[in-house]
Amino acid sequence: MEAIRERFIEELRSVSDMTGLSLLKVKYLGKKGTITSEMKSLSSLSPEERPAAGKRINELKDFMDAGISSRESELKTAELNAQLRSESIDVTLPGKQTAFGREHPVNRTLAEMAEIFIRMGFTIEEGPEVELDYYNFEALNIPKDHPARDMQDTFYVSSDVVLRTHTSPVQVRIMEKSKPPFRFIAPGKVYRCDADITHTPMFHQIEGLMVDKGITFSHLKGVLEAFLQQMFGPDTPVRFRPSYFPFTEPSAEVDIGCILCNGSGCRVCKGSGWLEILGAGMVNPVVFENVGYDPEEYSGFAFGMGIERIAMLKYSIDDLRLLYENDIRFLRQF
Amino acid sequence: MRVSFHWLKEFIDVPGAAADVAHRLTMIGLEVEAIEAVDDDWVFEVNVTPNRPDCLSIIGIVRELSAAYRIPYRLPDHDVMAETGELGFNADIIDPDLCHRYAGRVVRGLKIGPSPEWMRTRLEKCGIRAISNVVDVTNYVLLELGHPLHAFDLTTIRGSRMRIGTPKAVTGEKPRIKTIDGVEREMTADALLIWDSERPIAVAGIMGGLETEVSDSTTDVFIEAAHFEPISVRRTSKALGLKSESSYRFERGTDIKMLKKALDRAAYLMKEVAGGTIHGKIDIYPRGYKPSEIVVRYDKVNAILGTSLSREEITLCLGWLGLDISEHPDFVKVKPPTYRQDMKREIDVIEEVARIYGYERIKPELPKATIGMDGRSEGRRLREMKERIRQSLLRSGFTEAVNFSFMSPLDLDRLNITDERRNAVEIKNPLRAEDSLMRTTLIPALLNVMAHNVSHGNRDMRMFELSRVFFAQDAPLPDERERFALISYREKEKALYRDDTPDFFVIKGVVEAVLRDLKISGFSVRRSTEPFLHPGQSADIFIADEKIGFIGVLSPLVVDSLEVKANKPSIVVAEIDLNKVFPYAQQLVKYTAIPRYPSVDRDLAILLDASLEVAGIMEELSSYHTDLIEDVQVFDVYQGKGIAEGKKSIAFHIRYRSPERTLRDEEVDSLHSSLVSYILEKTGGELRQ
Repeated sequence: MEAIRERFIEELRSVSDMTGLSLLKVKYLGKKGTITSEMKSLSSLSPEERPAAGKRINELKDFMDAGISSRESELKTAELNAQLRSESIDVTLPGKQTAFGREHPVNRTLAEMAEIFIRMGFTIEEGPEVELDYYNFEALNIPKDHPARDMQDTFYVSSDVVLRTHTSPVQVRIMEKSKPPFRFIAPGKVYRCDADITHTPMFHQIEGLMVDKGITFSHLKGVLEAFLQQMFGPDTPVRFRPSYFPFTEPSAEVDIGCILCNGSGCRVCKGSGWLEILGAGMVNPVVFENVGYDPEEYSGFAFGMGIERIAMLKYSIDDLRLLYENDIRFLRQF
Repeated sequence: MRVSFHWLKEFIDVPGAAADVAHRLTMIGLEVEAIEAVDDDWVFEVNVTPNRPDCLSIIGIVRELSAAYRIPYRLPDHDVMAETGELGFNADIIDPDLCHRYAGRVVRGLKIGPSPEWMRTRLEKCGIRAISNVVDVTNYVLLELGHPLHAFDLTTIRGSRMRIGTPKAVTGEKPRIKTIDGVEREMTADALLIWDSERPIAVAGIMGGLETEVSDSTTDVFIEAAHFEPISVRRTSKALGLKSESSYRFERGTDIKMLKKALDRAAYLMKEVAGGTIHGKIDIYPRGYKPSEIVVRYDKVNAILGTSLSREEITLCLGWLGLDISEHPDFVKVKPPTYRQDMKREIDVIEEVARIYGYERIKPELPKATIGMDGRSEGRRLREMKERIRQSLLRSGFTEAVNFSFMSPLDLDRLNITDERRNAVEIKNPLRAEDSLMRTTLIPALLNVMAHNVSHGNRDMRMFELSRVFFAQDAPLPDERERFALISYREKEKALYRDDTPDFFVIKGVVEAVLRDLKISGFSVRRSTEPFLHPGQSADIFIADEKIGFIGVLSPLVVDSLEVKANKPSIVVAEIDLNKVFPYAQQLVKYTAIPRYPSVDRDLAILLDASLEVAGIMEELSSYHTDLIEDVQVFDVYQGKGIAEGKKSIAFHIRYRSPERTLRDEEVDSLHSSLVSYILEKTGGELRQ
């Protein structure tokens, strides 16, 4: 019996795969295997010897079962390991290129700005880019011979039709067809007959208008300060100083503390510590009269700002022309 | 405008240093854009807004400082007591609508030479070139008091009568004048001119004539000080293309009262710097000046500004501005001075209160929320859809380009476009001929972007633009349409991971995904007729028989014309008109139940003529008279080995399902085999085993 056990151990150890193992199993535990024949040989023993011998055979059988099953799991693990090893890849190879596209910095900035106004309850409106002289100028209190027309170099389509020089005509169009109260922004492209290192003939603006009973200059300051501090950081200094736009009165130019030098003076803010960021003002009663509102009943404020300038500040872009070259190496950075 | 700090201090004792004064000016609306140290002085570059011509002078800025600091100022000296003798001639205002006042003085016995150092320095600091004492004096007074003057050489004036009128009113002919810049110009019939007894000698308010100019030999001058109608000066200046320091001020409006001071000051200074004696004057002022009277309600001031300023505070601000005020319990009546013609209405005065009180002292406050206007306005809906499309394209790997809205007729020539895209809006004054039209298609700009990138070594790109195009139409304004366009550029290169999908189908997939994302299902494609696309590899896209756009491989001829030096690139473009798509976009999503019963799938491979298009077969399959076909997909198209010449094999995957029960195999087998017979009959194909 001991000899059988020794032989089994020897053979189990030398089995190297599942086929060998099942052959071994048949040889020792099969119907014609060693254990069966040992059981059969019990009949040749005396009734006194049988129980002890039977017990020894059963112990041997249990030992073999356990040995085979443990060897089986060893072999399975080894086999799986071998398979996994053979399936190994170079995980340091680059991933398949599924790069997302990148948003143009101007539109990215526009979306960010719009989001802030939307959170403050503003809606979004649009208007035509090719516009009647009436909406672009006349209705905004800029008659034909007004010197303020010199402030804007206009592209003309005909004597009555221009490429809009600002998004302000949307104010008039929306007021003509709506009744206060309302607050909206109107983003879009605008055009001026000017091209040099700091001007492109097309650029983007966001116009804003809020009209209701009892709107004041104080509200104008509150809303624009809230916007600028959400856009540039909660501690950004904001200052309002008098300016002139024919369609607002009082008018203001709004500056923020230079975000590049923190107000100490640098090349970008021309040493002043301030950056001019937007124009604003209380809607001029003339404009209200032009759209049939009673300036005694309603008041409101309007503002407008260039998106390119804000995008350039935000992303430290030092050349305006980069925005319209559409070079992939530039655009991919955003 | 350039302003000397020392010059300012001659008239006001400002308590601050130059930088403080500059800051104060900026904060009351006279933005100091730069401060420059010149010798021991400071020169401010002041940005004067078009509504404030009164600030285009030293004294104008002094007046502002007086209001800002609430301290008095002085006016310059103009003692002309030494006046002797008669003037010797008179003046006629022929067009009193265009010339409201005409005054002049004669100074005789002058000696022309350089002006004194102090005068030259001041002029030059303020950006005006010194010429000679007499001319310099007129410029000096222009800068100091803001009133333009003109000095004529008295001996060149013919006759004893000056006339102020337009050619229309004087002669009926259009005369020519050679102005002091040496250019001879034909005058317009409406141009206001100054005439002596025989001929026109100056363009009123704009420039004097060469023949009557002060020269080195001049001894006697006639100094003119007048008030001209701003619009008339502006129109003439524009029509003649002629501008000057004078016209800049006249077209914005000059001070009809200051005119006399300026005249006397100039005569006085001429005597001082060039000798001579001051003679009599003329002053034709037919209509006089009636100041306007503006009622300003105290509560309106506070209602607009959001302040609670007292009556005293309001009147104090206005008083320091030199306004004539009379107080009443609820309002103040204001008469603006002659130099403040910009103040006409109550709101103009309210702005002045705000300015002098200080914008920085008005407290910011957030308005109480009032929800108005339909939150789901059309504008917002369109914006949301465009935004959704932008995001889809970005996530599909397309980078966003933004191009100028212009194009050139050559762009259309290059693409052989002859259709309605030629109906472009034309710009009358383009910056460049290449930018003379508003775009009717986004493709040319994207091709330029591609060419730029390829020439800079960027050889793999997917880009899109979402912008408007403009079609001229029978209406004052063009039809503006929202479009998006795609371009994919790829050179055949060895790649680490192979993806053999032809670019056409990649782009088509993206376009389909965008349309499906808007819940548009009923679109179809037909072979494209676009003249710039590969005729065999391009498709027009339709919704309900209306063409909404196209997708296609760029025609090799167009690729050649782009002069892109590249290794057989695959260039696919697409353009979709969103205004045509939006009406079909489904806004409300309605849930449909997820199927409860299993599907049964069957495949089908047919041998067909290679020229047959799959869309027709798909349509036949989908429209077969049964409700049990849920979906049909093409999963293989094969031509080549094992397939006869001129034939192709198309394999379909068909999914059967009933919403009500589990289908039996035999039932599906029988349905499938009748579908097969039907489709073979319809297409003339045969079953591929």
